[in-house]
Amino acid sequence: MSDSTATRANVYDVRPKTEVPAESPLAWSYHTSGRPSVSQKSRVVLRERAMAGHMILRGGAIVLDEAVRGVLGFGLPARPNTLSLSDDGARSIQWLSPDEWLVIVPGGEEFTLERQLREALGDAHYAIVNVSGGQTLLELEGDKARELLMKSTPYDVHPDAFPVGKGVTTVFAKANLILRRPTETRWELVLRRSFADYCYRWLLDAGAEYAIGVEK
Amino acid sequence: MSKSLKQPNRLKEGGRIDRSRKLSFTFNGQRYQGHAGDTLASALLANGVDIVNRSFKYSRPRGIVAAGAEEPNALIQLGSTEAAQVPNVRATQQALFDGLVARSTNGWPNVQHDLMGWVGKVGGRFMPPGFYYKTFMAPASMWMTYEKYIRKSAGLGRSPMERDPDSYDHLNQHCDLLVIGAGPAGLAAALTAARSGARVILADEQEEMGGSLLDSRELVDNQPAAQWAERVLKELAGLDNVTLLARTTANGYHDHHFVTLHERRTEHLGETAPLVNGHRPSRSRMHRVRAGQVLLATGAHERPLVYGNNDLPGNLLAGAVSTYIRRYGVVPGHKLVLSTSNDYAYRAALDWLDAGREVVAIVDARPAPNGEWVEQARARGIRIIEGAAVLEAKGASRVNGARVATIDAGAFKVTGQAETLDCDTIASSGGYSPVIHLASHTGARPTWNEEILGFVPSLVKGVHAAGSARGIHDLAAGMADGVAMAAQALEALNRPVQAIELPQVEARREGAACALYQIPHEKPTLRAPKQFVDLQNDVTAAGIELATREGFESIEHVKRYTAMGFGTDQGKLGNINGMAIAARCLNRSIPEVGTTVFRPNYTPVTFGAIVGRHCRELFDPERYTALHQWHVENGAEFEDVGQWKRPWYFPQTVNGKKESMHEAVARECLAVREKVGILDASTLGKIDIQGPDAREFLNRVYTNKWLKLEVGRVRYGLMCKDDGMLMDDGTTSCLGENHFLMTTTTGGAAGVLEWLELWHQTEWPELDVTFTSVTDHWATMTVTGPEARKLLAEITDIDLDRSAFKFMDWREGNVAGVPARVFRISFTGELAYEINVQANYAMHVWKTLFEHGDKYGLTPYGTETMHVLRAEKGFIIAGQDSDGSVTPEDLGMQWAVGYDKPYSWIGKRALSRSDTRRTDRKQLVGLKPKDPTVVLEEGAQIVFDPDHAIPMPMVGHVTSSYYSPTLGSGFALAVVKGGHQRMGETVYLPMADGKTHAAEIVGTIFYDPKGERQNV
Repeated sequence: MSDSTATRANVYDVRPKTEVPAESPLAWSYHTSGRPSVSQKSRVVLRERAMAGHMILRGGAIVLDEAVRGVLGFGLPARPNTLSLSDDGARSIQWLSPDEWLVIVPGGEEFTLERQLREALGDAHYAIVNVSGGQTLLELEGDKARELLMKSTPYDVHPDAFPVGKGVTTVFAKANLILRRPTETRWELVLRRSFADYCYRWLLDAGAEYAIGVEK
Repeated sequence: MSKSLKQPNRLKEGGRIDRSRKLSFTFNGQRYQGHAGDTLASALLANGVDIVNRSFKYSRPRGIVAAGAEEPNALIQLGSTEAAQVPNVRATQQALFDGLVARSTNGWPNVQHDLMGWVGKVGGRFMPPGFYYKTFMAPASMWMTYEKYIRKSAGLGRSPMERDPDSYDHLNQHCDLLVIGAGPAGLAAALTAARSGARVILADEQEEMGGSLLDSRELVDNQPAAQWAERVLKELAGLDNVTLLARTTANGYHDHHFVTLHERRTEHLGETAPLVNGHRPSRSRMHRVRAGQVLLATGAHERPLVYGNNDLPGNLLAGAVSTYIRRYGVVPGHKLVLSTSNDYAYRAALDWLDAGREVVAIVDARPAPNGEWVEQARARGIRIIEGAAVLEAKGASRVNGARVATIDAGAFKVTGQAETLDCDTIASSGGYSPVIHLASHTGARPTWNEEILGFVPSLVKGVHAAGSARGIHDLAAGMADGVAMAAQALEALNRPVQAIELPQVEARREGAACALYQIPHEKPTLRAPKQFVDLQNDVTAAGIELATREGFESIEHVKRYTAMGFGTDQGKLGNINGMAIAARCLNRSIPEVGTTVFRPNYTPVTFGAIVGRHCRELFDPERYTALHQWHVENGAEFEDVGQWKRPWYFPQTVNGKKESMHEAVARECLAVREKVGILDASTLGKIDIQGPDAREFLNRVYTNKWLKLEVGRVRYGLMCKDDGMLMDDGTTSCLGENHFLMTTTTGGAAGVLEWLELWHQTEWPELDVTFTSVTDHWATMTVTGPEARKLLAEITDIDLDRSAFKFMDWREGNVAGVPARVFRISFTGELAYEINVQANYAMHVWKTLFEHGDKYGLTPYGTETMHVLRAEKGFIIAGQDSDGSVTPEDLGMQWAVGYDKPYSWIGKRALSRSDTRRTDRKQLVGLKPKDPTVVLEEGAQIVFDPDHAIPMPMVGHVTSSYYSPTLGSGFALAVVKGGHQRMGETVYLPMADGKTHAAEIVGTIFYDPKGERQNV
């Protein structure tokens, strides 16, 4: 990283170098509400993808797209309310607002990614903010997953209105979250840390009639 | 008992009930039997139960009148246990299940012998319209007493006193076309839209879909009409793009085609939802539908005729008689007189005859009726009395006769000699009113259609009506209309239309109906036997006439004065008749009088369905910090701050006794002042600000100066609204030339972020700067007290030397092995370090601090101690010591205002207004109670002269007040008019209990005025 970049923004790896106990935003929820086991009857299955790297990118689409392509090998999603994925599906970029994207990468990659992006972006006006500690991602699958979402969000989750590759920020019960559909069968919820327990309890309650299970 | 199990009115065959399944139920303590497929109403009629209720005002005996949602009398209370109580259920809409327990809603002490009966017998002179206003208003102090008895005798049902064992939920639905009503028009429309590939929701309020097809005499494709309905429903059920919702009432039509449907999922199965796979499904469900287009196929309600004693049990709607016979195999009497204004009602007499019972006569108001069904009736030997009507029903607790005579409806006169017919049932029909309630919810006023003698809905964009709902009552025409209106809706959505082939319906020649509402009587309306217009609210024709005489000319006023169409009834049966009577009395036409507005909900909705699962633990989100588990495990009491749960204080058990809040706070305060305390400050709003213009932006939104803040430094700032009033405060740190971290108050976080975005996006888009919330990303731990440095030094690699890491500096390094930013800012007045780490690692850091903290006396403290400590230092809390009418100058914080900044900042101009320059504004000061043991009440009003006559001029109020264990006395912050110039003066606080406290005005800093302790 060049010196000028270093003085312009304070960037450092927030992950400890040594092994330190870490807790996802749902640690307390698992402790108090438990994790109903997945059974044959489970028509909805939840799975947390904990400790991933979450970054907010802000700036002009063209400049960011070029930098992101160079570093990640795939670009920004072309249209509002959509997401783009790496070939293996492990990394994603989601449109959030006209100058704002959410990047999710496997945990531990985020600092390197931020450094590489800052390098590539040089003097352009942009912002990169690591928000990994502030949110977590829940995967939702099963033949009743969509009905469970219908109980929870006023957004239209019918496949005609919510095709694969779509992602939105929307109302969920009385909270907000990011809702996206990376594959035909999988939905993803990006929860804010402080609201995670409420959303988790809501999902268990609304999902009880589908024998919802939570994978460990 | 055995007698009552016989079902004397049940026909040997016919109906859509399952005779092989017998269900037993209890009504008003008596056991009866019915069949699967019955409603409670049809089962009661089958058992010959005449009286189902007492009327609301006059306490007159009442029986079942209708067969659907329009039933005004049969309001019942359901439930065998306290927890299962459900009030105001219409017996006509409640499916029978085995073990059902129901009671009359009205009738104290019981329906057969009613204490209140004298009121009804003595009659209307005791309870004219406006009765409550006129009688019970004086003396006003007695109203509570009156009300108690009026409510009890009127009996509007009651809510359960125990917790509901059931659950309820919501389902958000979206569709291209929402079709409401699954009768002939609705089914034709839904099929058209479904075959065209649109996303369709078809909702119907009844137990079974099909509407009028289920009890029609007519043939469709040469088969009973119900078979066509079954075929269509089977096809619809097999289509992925169709959602069928039976037992689902569209109750409210809100803006933008947002319609709330109330689905009764298990109410036909039992009091409580039966278990499915060990889980109890929701009892009822609110579908929140956002529709592209809406098609109302809600059909029509038959209008009863208004004649004397038309409320006696045994008076029914003609259509209801047919429904009970054809759909439920129940004939609700033996000898029928039918009074009608139209052809269609003749089916009641034909069905009655087919059921093997006697039709005494058909009394037709038209001079020479000649339609097809009229001729059929004549051919079957039924006596038809032409140009006549039933003037009055005879009987005490059930009809035993009908007085009929020829009338001149236009002149409102009885023209012939009355004849009394011996009968036990009078069916009446005055025509058909389209069900326009939902269209009315959209705000569109319905229009009168003289041809059909009814109001038809006016429709806002995107709403369509088809069939009877817009006055097309003919079966074939109604089906065709359903197709046409569905096509119209699809075209509005730019969708291709796949037309369907309509079934064959034999044409039926029908004579014209005549306009008939209130039947004239030999006596004037005010002296005639009561002629009921609105049975549920006990509104009579005489009442409406009286209202118009008393000067209530607007139909809206008539409604309110008489209560016509109030409450759960919403004017389903009575409104048109009432308007017609008002029109007659006022000598106007019905369209001139107009209609009242129908409001949601169409029928009562259980609160559970409205609430869904937004109740109990899920009533409101609770926001937790990363350290919540530790707080719980260490016995914290919690305080709600917005939606956050923050530790309030940490009571300890001392000598087997749990500390009071006062004791805990005193201990926590002293620990911070003397040793070291720790606070979870993670809830503070945190906004990451990046961009080359970040500094300039801060300079404009804060009142103070930001241009020279160096990297590594922190500054406190005040934020004003454009009116110059304090909005929020907090510290902002310079992380890099183009990078800042702003903190806000806990409650202000979201508002401040929006505020920044608002000004950036609307006023200063040219500034290159971005704002991102990082509140949840960072966990913040405040370690504060004289021992804070020693403690932190044990677990950090940051140089804590006072010359290297000064007050209002921040540094980066490791704390407990976790990368951290540490800020030397202080809200306690003591040496303090605010440690920020990525929240996933916060628990580790927090626990490590405690592993090392014992020897320093590390004490967790909560928000209450935080408040005391900051108030001792005169640090304000925005929103507590300020209230949207307080400027930085009022707070004495001129030091944080950059009057000479080059670019104007938000609020600057407002601070030079004459009002903000006044010297007698309420200003923030300290108050020292003269009695040190007194802790003033927050919010207490302040006066200068306690001997002033009441009302005393009030000159301010206490904003923060606590007991200080450090000072050993109570102390307070307050706003006082001109307070800054009144140091040393005494003010007074007269309290509600008669005591008056005296306090001295002092500076706002009570402790360490030079700020030496935070600078060590």
